[in-house]
Amino acid sequence: MAAMRRSGGDLFDPILLADKRFHGEGYQEGYNEGGHSGVIEGRRFGSINGAKIGSEVAFYSGFAFTWKCILQNNTDAKSSKKLKTLDSLLGMVGSFPYEDPTYDKLQEDLDKIRSKFKQVCSLLNVQPAFQNSPQAGMSF
Amino acid sequence: MKQRLKLEGRLAGHPDSRAWFTAWSPAGSLLASCGGDRAVRVWASEGTEWVCKWVLEDGHQRTVRKVAWSPCGNYLASVSFDATTCIWRKQDGGFECITTLEGHENEVKSVAWAPSGNLLATCSRDKSVWVWEVDEEDEYECVSVLNAHTQDVKHVIWHPNGELLVSGSYDNSIKLYKEEDDDWVCFDTLEGHESTVWSIAFDQNGDRLASCSDDKTLKIWKEYKPGNEQGVMCNGSNSCWKCICTLSGYHTRTVYDVSWCPNTGAIATACGDDAIRVFEEDPNSDPHQPTFSLVAHVPKAHAQDVNCVAWNPKQPGLLASCSDDGDIAIWRYEAELATGCST
Repeated sequence: MAAMRRSGGDLFDPILLADKRFHGEGYQEGYNEGGHSGVIEGRRFGSINGAKIGSEVAFYSGFAFTWKCILQNNTDAKSSKKLKTLDSLLGMVGSFPYEDPTYDKLQEDLDKIRSKFKQVCSLLNVQPAFQNSPQAGMSF
Repeated sequence: MKQRLKLEGRLAGHPDSRAWFTAWSPAGSLLASCGGDRAVRVWASEGTEWVCKWVLEDGHQRTVRKVAWSPCGNYLASVSFDATTCIWRKQDGGFECITTLEGHENEVKSVAWAPSGNLLATCSRDKSVWVWEVDEEDEYECVSVLNAHTQDVKHVIWHPNGELLVSGSYDNSIKLYKEEDDDWVCFDTLEGHESTVWSIAFDQNGDRLASCSDDKTLKIWKEYKPGNEQGVMCNGSNSCWKCICTLSGYHTRTVYDVSWCPNTGAIATACGDDAIRVFEEDPNSDPHQPTFSLVAHVPKAHAQDVNCVAWNPKQPGLLASCSDDGDIAIWRYEAELATGCST
């Protein structure tokens, strides 16, 4: 009796459970495909975002370096204060971890660099317009 | 409750607009006020009357949110929603705007002068706190931009004796800053308020701090130095500030301002329920777990939200307040006699 029920069960199982099986397989296929396209999308987003941060930090680097060149021969107290702040900004830019996106203080360090840049602009009395690409003004 | 806060005068400070803030000059003889009419007014007492001596206009394009006197009393700083800070110099017969500090991205919310008079701090809706250095030629240079808060910074204040800067924010926290290697750094964050921290005040010596919030409470914080006998943990050589008292249940709306009287030790609060309240520490209360009592309460101190309360630095018990109704009120607080003959 028990054997018959089992063989009967075996016979109808593929039919009765087809719905569940296809559902499971479909889920797995979709999951893999979604994961794959997610990786592609994430990579694209990451590279865009990374490029943004990179160009922002590089902008500060170029800005600070240029101003340092302009001011470096001045010896008055005001200029030396400006140079000191520029050096501080260059130091921060120099130690920014370009190679390690998993660095946990990335955002914190970036915010510090932005703050230092604001201080530099205030000291130099300049209001730079950020535009390194024609279509999208930089938003920092 | 015995009514111990008496109205001495009511001035139409900033008619048809909001009166945002009042500040007594260090000598206690002048009162500066600012408001939504974009003006700063300076008041002085003549006999029993308070009269407006000067109106400082044309400095700002939008609401003037706060004003602060320099410790020498010769300069007045005003900050505005137009993103700028104006420095006014007092000279024979009036005030002259000698410089405008720019840098904040949007509304500047508060300003404070360090006790030395060489440093000025401003804070803004742009989430940053700026520290400015003043030289002998009245030139201002930014020495630091601090981005420790994650939201709108509402208030900045300096320690009464040292170079310790404190700010309160819409992110519900209080941050403490000090100078380190030529730069300013945030070295501590006080958390405990459940909503916006609107104002902060030190006591006379700077050992304790009072903070008020949108969470309708007032908190008292105490400084514990490294190696303290109470065993409060400190981080390295920095002091630790610990909340030692929370006053809740007294205010029915947002507490917008707090002032700690350097002379009487009384704490006054300005509240969104139109009331002014005064608290005093109970005699013999434990310094590490103090208790405070409500000793004065004026329910309808103003017709609308009370924005500011300020104790006069020299005349004990003289209190100024201002409100959304545009008025400034001057109050006289009668402190309980120390001998205890209060029957």
